[in-house]
Amino acid sequence: MRRSVAIFIMLTLCVLSRALSAEPIAPIQSMIDQAGDHERVVIPPGNYEGRLKIMHPVVIDGQGKVTIDGGEEGSVIEITSPDVTIRGLHITGSGQRVSDEQAGIKSVAGPVTIEDNVLEDVYFGIDLKQAPGSVIRNNTISGKDLEIGRRGDGIRLWWSHNCQITGNAVHSLRDMVFWYSEDLHISHNTVTDSRYGLHFMYSHNTVIEENDLARNSVGIYLMYSNNIHLLRNQIYNNRGSSGYGIGLKDDDAIVVEDNDLLANRVGLYIDNSPSSIDSVGLVKGNRIAFNEVGLLATPNTHDNVITENAFIENEEQVTVHGGGQLSLNTFASEGRGNFWSDYNGFDQNHDGIGDFPHAPSSLFRTLLARDPNLRLFVHSPAQQAVELTARAFPEISPKPMFTDPAPLASVPVFKDGGDAARSFPMPMAALALGLLAVAAGAIWRLAGHDPCRHIWAQSSPHIKQKVQA
Amino acid sequence: MSTMSMQTDQDQSVPKMQTPQMPGSHLTLARGVLAFAGREFRDAVSSKWFLLYTVAFSVLAIAVSFVSLAGSGAQGFAGFGRTAAGLLNLIMLIVPLMALTAGAGSVAGERERGTLLYLLAQPISRTELLLGKYLGLAVALCCSLCVGFGLSAAVLAWRAGGVGIGSFLMLVLFTCVLALSMLSVGILISVMSRRSGVATGLGLFCWLALVFLSDLGLMAGTVIFRLRVQEVFALAIINPLQAFKMGVIVNLNASLDVLGPVGMYASQTYGKALPWLLASVVVLWVLLPLMLAIVLFKRRKGI
Repeated sequence: MRRSVAIFIMLTLCVLSRALSAEPIAPIQSMIDQAGDHERVVIPPGNYEGRLKIMHPVVIDGQGKVTIDGGEEGSVIEITSPDVTIRGLHITGSGQRVSDEQAGIKSVAGPVTIEDNVLEDVYFGIDLKQAPGSVIRNNTISGKDLEIGRRGDGIRLWWSHNCQITGNAVHSLRDMVFWYSEDLHISHNTVTDSRYGLHFMYSHNTVIEENDLARNSVGIYLMYSNNIHLLRNQIYNNRGSSGYGIGLKDDDAIVVEDNDLLANRVGLYIDNSPSSIDSVGLVKGNRIAFNEVGLLATPNTHDNVITENAFIENEEQVTVHGGGQLSLNTFASEGRGNFWSDYNGFDQNHDGIGDFPHAPSSLFRTLLARDPNLRLFVHSPAQQAVELTARAFPEISPKPMFTDPAPLASVPVFKDGGDAARSFPMPMAALALGLLAVAAGAIWRLAGHDPCRHIWAQSSPHIKQKVQA
Repeated sequence: MSTMSMQTDQDQSVPKMQTPQMPGSHLTLARGVLAFAGREFRDAVSSKWFLLYTVAFSVLAIAVSFVSLAGSGAQGFAGFGRTAAGLLNLIMLIVPLMALTAGAGSVAGERERGTLLYLLAQPISRTELLLGKYLGLAVALCCSLCVGFGLSAAVLAWRAGGVGIGSFLMLVLFTCVLALSMLSVGILISVMSRRSGVATGLGLFCWLALVFLSDLGLMAGTVIFRLRVQEVFALAIINPLQAFKMGVIVNLNASLDVLGPVGMYASQTYGKALPWLLASVVVLWVLLPLMLAIVLFKRRKGI
């Protein structure tokens, strides 16, 4: 009896482990190799262990039911031929050797189409080198549990022009990065909890549209990249010591339009952009709100037109890195400036434009630009004291860092992302009642009856005599 | 002994302090402290300063809550929280003022009025007397803060819903500890001063020094001597108000990155231990001045 139970358990374990264990991938590899050019290969559903190498044009479809585990070694799928499509696979377990930049899907030829895949536990996610005209669409990519600087990139393009990157979700990786790749279209991607959301190096002529970039170190960083249009992106909570919503370094002809930059350490950072003498940068219609710094620029920044933006409740609205004035930039275009939540003027003639220019000067903020360590003292009465002093003695008031000649009088329409604010009020109300009850209870309990009142009443000599007696 | 005092306590016609008691029993020590605490609390609650401060704090707290909520539709993104930032400034300005002046007036006032002599004649040690006074004032202060925070919470519940209830509760607790630390300093001043006018003046100077002068001095030092972040941080947290502020922000944000390089240094260096480090600074400011006050009060010849 006992023995039969033991045998039964062993048999069950065998069956279970057989079901859980992955099948080898060799048959699939030969299936792909034997398929004709441009033929569609549907991989039978199941778990496979091993790596695939795709060397001729073919469409590979896992229909969302195929898992390929690279066994923590090498790149899981390697493409060396153009016109390959990878669709509907679940890919895990790439190696993480830095020297090989091992990835979930790696391609050294293009165009390729990579769509509807889920990549998990990979070092690099999708890595394209010299794969022009490729499409990367609707993939979900998450990385290995590594320190942020040691992770690989979620999606990387290297020298791959005319690509489309749309609808991908990347989280817990390093960057979505584009090297030397021109004429891209990048839209509807989500990058969260990574280092740089979208990172451009020497990549020109691109539209970046409606991406969501949250909780990264930097939302979008453009470096040495020209003629880029940033449109309607949602960029929030990008923080940390170099936390920027959007960073522009030495770029020409950039248009930043209609983006939401919320609760970042710095909303928009401009470092010597535009860099060419005859180029102009346009920052228009963005909502820059609740950041520590709304707009941070280096003192040499010039020729930006900053207009129709809403600067709302940033701890510092505009500041210059290291101090100075942004006098080489214009804060209005065609008679329309920006909305400033700290504007003190009025709009008496109701033309939508404030009657006085907005040229804020703040001693504390000027000091802050000089020595960033002073930020320790924000939110303290000492900060107010400094401001008050500057107001009382205008001669020590610093020059304004910028002047908006035509500040807007009303807030441009604000896409409200803060639904969390309207949560259930009962606990807070209960807390309010609780606190009041504590105070009332203590006063009622302690202030009512005094068992020792006879003693305290000693100030009357009558009782004193009684006590002495 | 203890049963006797229990019985006399129930017998309302005979005040318990009049029964001859041997000092040293824990029960009597606690009772003595509590009796003095009760008296101090009643005196405080019925005094004008208590009413004034409570009303002032409540009105300002409500106003700050209203103003900082006005017109903000996207609080989910409002980072550090504008209500919290506004309240923080208000707390750092008013709470030390309340606690320092209340503490400073306590012993020195009795001394000036001559009632201290009588209190010392009671069968109770000087430590118990001072602890009793401290406890009574502490409870009164916390009550006053609870009223202000309670009304502010009501405004928040009405206008903003139940956002950040945990953080708000922590803010209340932190503020109470801050009040206790300032009260300790006040009591220390009071023990050292002969006249209540001097004590109040010293209390106000202390307030000025802690709220403004030390921060302004450190700001100047940071700029002039180009202090490094670790030096700025070390010097800043000596001030209980700065430690309090950082503690509140860590609690709200889980990071001090809103405080720039110094904050980031603190967050990265101390990590999870940072709130405890900051809290222990404030708690030290509760304990050390109070202990010093007790020692000085005991060693004092005469009253």
